[in-house]
Amino acid sequence: MTDLPIDIPAWAALVTAALVLFGSTLALIGCVGLLKFSTFYERLHAPTLGSTLGLWSILIGSMIFFSTSQERPVVYELLIGVFVTVTTPVTMLLLSQTTLYRDRLEGRDPLSENPDPIDKTG
Amino acid sequence: MAVEQLSLILLILSPFVGSVVAAFLPATARNSEAIFAGAIALINLGIAIWLGPSVRDGGVVRMEAPWIPLLGLDFVLRLDGLAWAFVCLISGIGLLVTIYARYYMSPQDPVPRFFSFLLGFMGAMLGVVVSGNLIQIVFFWELTSLFSFLLIGYWHHSQSARTGARRALLTTGAGGLCLFAGMLVLGQIVGSYDLDVVLFSGEVIAASPLYPAALILILLGALTKSAQFPFHFWLPGAMSAPTPVSAYLHSATMVKAGVFLLARLWPAMADHDLWFYILAPIGAITLLMGAALALFQQDLKGLLAYSTISHLGLITLLLALNSKTAAVAAVFHIMNHAVFKASLFMAAGIIDHEAGTRDIRRLGGLAKAMPITAALAMVAAAAMAGVPLMNGFLSKEMFFAETVETHVQGSFLDSLLPYVATLAGLFSVAYSLRLIDQVFFGPKATDLPKKPHDPVIWMLLPVGCLVLICLLVGLFPGPVIGEFLETAVRGMLLGEKPYYSLAIWHGVNTALIMSVVAMIGGIIAYVALRDWLSGDFEGARMPGRLALRKRVERAQTALGRAWARSEVWLGLSHLQPQLRWIVCVAILTIAWPFLFRSWAIQPGAAEQPDTALLFVWLIGGACAIGAAYQAKYHRLAALIMTGGAGLAVCITFAWLSAPDLALTQVLVEVVTTVLLLLGLRWLPKRKEDIREAADLNAKRRRAADAVIACLGGVGLAALSYAVMTAPTNPDGIARWLLTYAYSEGGGRNVVNVILVDFRGFDTLGEITVLGIVALSVYALLRRFRPAVESVQAPTQKTFQDKYDAQRHESHADDRQIDAHYLLTPGLIMRLLFPLIAMMAMFLFLRGHDLPGGGFVAGLTFAVAFLLQYMAGGARWVEERLTILPTLWIGGGLLMALGTGAAAWIWDLPFLSTYFSYKELPVVGKIPVASALIFDFGVFTLVTGATVLILVALAHQAVRWQRMTGKGEKIALEEDR
Repeated sequence: MTDLPIDIPAWAALVTAALVLFGSTLALIGCVGLLKFSTFYERLHAPTLGSTLGLWSILIGSMIFFSTSQERPVVYELLIGVFVTVTTPVTMLLLSQTTLYRDRLEGRDPLSENPDPIDKTG
Repeated sequence: MAVEQLSLILLILSPFVGSVVAAFLPATARNSEAIFAGAIALINLGIAIWLGPSVRDGGVVRMEAPWIPLLGLDFVLRLDGLAWAFVCLISGIGLLVTIYARYYMSPQDPVPRFFSFLLGFMGAMLGVVVSGNLIQIVFFWELTSLFSFLLIGYWHHSQSARTGARRALLTTGAGGLCLFAGMLVLGQIVGSYDLDVVLFSGEVIAASPLYPAALILILLGALTKSAQFPFHFWLPGAMSAPTPVSAYLHSATMVKAGVFLLARLWPAMADHDLWFYILAPIGAITLLMGAALALFQQDLKGLLAYSTISHLGLITLLLALNSKTAAVAAVFHIMNHAVFKASLFMAAGIIDHEAGTRDIRRLGGLAKAMPITAALAMVAAAAMAGVPLMNGFLSKEMFFAETVETHVQGSFLDSLLPYVATLAGLFSVAYSLRLIDQVFFGPKATDLPKKPHDPVIWMLLPVGCLVLICLLVGLFPGPVIGEFLETAVRGMLLGEKPYYSLAIWHGVNTALIMSVVAMIGGIIAYVALRDWLSGDFEGARMPGRLALRKRVERAQTALGRAWARSEVWLGLSHLQPQLRWIVCVAILTIAWPFLFRSWAIQPGAAEQPDTALLFVWLIGGACAIGAAYQAKYHRLAALIMTGGAGLAVCITFAWLSAPDLALTQVLVEVVTTVLLLLGLRWLPKRKEDIREAADLNAKRRRAADAVIACLGGVGLAALSYAVMTAPTNPDGIARWLLTYAYSEGGGRNVVNVILVDFRGFDTLGEITVLGIVALSVYALLRRFRPAVESVQAPTQKTFQDKYDAQRHESHADDRQIDAHYLLTPGLIMRLLFPLIAMMAMFLFLRGHDLPGGGFVAGLTFAVAFLLQYMAGGARWVEERLTILPTLWIGGGLLMALGTGAAAWIWDLPFLSTYFSYKELPVVGKIPVASALIFDFGVFTLVTGATVLILVALAHQAVRWQRMTGKGEKIALEEDR
């Protein structure tokens, strides 16, 4: 990709590196979780690691990097953060709801104590 | 440009502009419509009178403007004496017809349409007569065919009007095509399409071996238009038009266009034996046949129609004789016939209007009830019969005198002409007499649908004016019409004027004797046939074998059947075979030059791609194959996988540093996926057991489809590969674009500058297509009714609703259930609306310098609407937002066009852009480019088009709810 002449103070480079590494590690853990967990409902939790703390640490890292390298405050990342924070839970919610309904349709309601499905044919 | 030239342009433009304006007046504005149309006719008449002195002595007013200079074609308006006389007739009678139409049309008729077509027709007719270029004549000629079709079919609820209109259009339109070919041949012979050159090349034309071809083709055009035998059949059918239309079309215009053309080309083409041998028999047959058939009509307008055919035959015959005095007689008769026939049609219309019928057998004794109409009609009919002291008499005498003279030595036809003429004259006396006697005299009709009386004065006024002209010309021909006729004759004969006399009395000569014989014979014939004519038979037509009408109709039916059969044979009645054809043709078209034309693209060496990208591609490819595999039975899965393939493409774009494309691709993927999802809901479920139960035929078909699909896919991939790896020209267009994007287009984003500036015209075309597509989707879905099996809510939704209703008794209402399971997401989606709109604006504004632009911004904005519809449903959104996507589409297109056209103000070519930097307080320097406005047009149109498709799909659900609601109600009532 592009070869930016990287010319930022050492402290900024260190902080950026740490934040980005931390964020991507969280995302990686989330992915491993996605693979490891056995049911859909459990799996839902794993990627949220990456989309919350992981996301923000990468974004802050990015902000520091570009603000110091371009010598002006760069805050686009805030918008990205807001958008992802607002939309990810909605996606999760929709996914879990859909799964819930499907499970009910197939006669195994994870919420009820004694599964008593209503008429399957609808 | 001199005032004269400007007035010529006004003459042509005003009816067309008026036509557009008239179409937009309110439906009930009969008065303002008529006044408006009349004013335009009056203006044209004024222009004609004002231009009179300039064309009097063979003068010509010419206006030229380059049209297609490359082909030597100019737009030429040329007014000479002949054209001038026609302009007077067209606008003068047009004026009277508009007055008449105001009182003839009923308040229920949609008058804006009528006057709009009438003005359009007037403009087309004026165009034919003042065109100074052969191709231009053909253009206006076809316009008259189109407008006459619309006028004849004005009452399109009546079957006869539709048939008549279609027949007229087919006949005259086909003639027009022949005329076009003929004019091209003529232009080739002369070497120029300019009328002035053509008119003075008579000798070259007559000597050319191509003369017969040109003549026959041109005559086919002229004779079909003028309803000459054997093409006369469309004219009686055209009588289903409203009477003002008949009065206009069959007196001064339409049918006169044919004879006008013959007169126009007379100096260039008449000097050849073929001219006489083709035209004279046709004219003679038409003259005689028309007159004879007119006598046996029972419909008043039918009688007049056949009489028109006969009189046109007379004019054709006169023009055929290739003598200058005959030409004078022809021009004179054109005028006379226009005047008396228009008044007779109007009188027939009055009778129809007041008595409620046009059947001659039912009418009778109307002279007492409507004395003024009777008197006027009698004078006009006398003129038609050629009674002395009327205008018709004068031209008829001239005609008789011409037939007596020998024009072609030793020709049997030539010596036969006086007898034909006398016989036709006899018939015309008889039918005129019948018209007057059976309608106005005799026993008073008792069973008329209405009680007849004279109409309002304004309806009589046009008839009165015309009849007055008949009388004045008949009584004082020299002072009244002399100069007018001379101007027309000089115009037609290129400045020459043969000797002729307009006196009423020429002494006892052969012509007078013929007249007397015709007169007495006509009276005797009528008296003898009178009782029989009132008998019980319908209007006569050409007897069986001679009737071309039937053959044409049979051919039409046969063609229609063959077409229907070919549809079955080619398997075009279903969507799948149609698509198969399209794909096959596309593959063949692209493969053709490579296989048979030795086209070749040398693929170069491809770069080694990144491993990561390769991985993305693998996923994308797998998605694409999976989508194709699942497309038949699991549409949803297929759709999702298509989206996956799209995302792979998108990542590729981003990877290869094409952020513009990546951005666009993401948005396009999102929008299309959602729209397709909305559409999928209405497709019936596929039954998977079909897959197993396939017979051999189906298997073969599927195998063939697979082969086609593979061929297409592999071919396209190979082509793309070859093109993309082929070595590029380092000095090619890419370098130029990169170099000049900023200095010439004022933008750093080269892609956007290409779109809105360098290739702005392409973009204009593309957004036009996009708008059309959206409108067609809307039009198609508006009438769409889903299949019965997909009307019911899908199983999932039924189950979900049921469950929710059980758990939340209070949420029994449908919409609250919707709100229930979409509560949180719905809220977020609604809140996102302003944010997404802002994002769209951001993308739009930065588009000229950074990735973004009107198209992407438009899609983004459409996504905002999409989310609202998803969150709240069509009803919820439309209760709160007024979305007028069609206005967005139209507005965007107009804005883009307007920006393009604005360049003309500064004398720059279409779509030139302007840019500079402007200083704004606070914000600082911002780029200002006219391309930004163009881009805003693109933005608006894209938003409108996408939202329109969305609305069209979303409304299916609303309609479905309404439908099932109705269904439940009916079921309830049935239960009771």
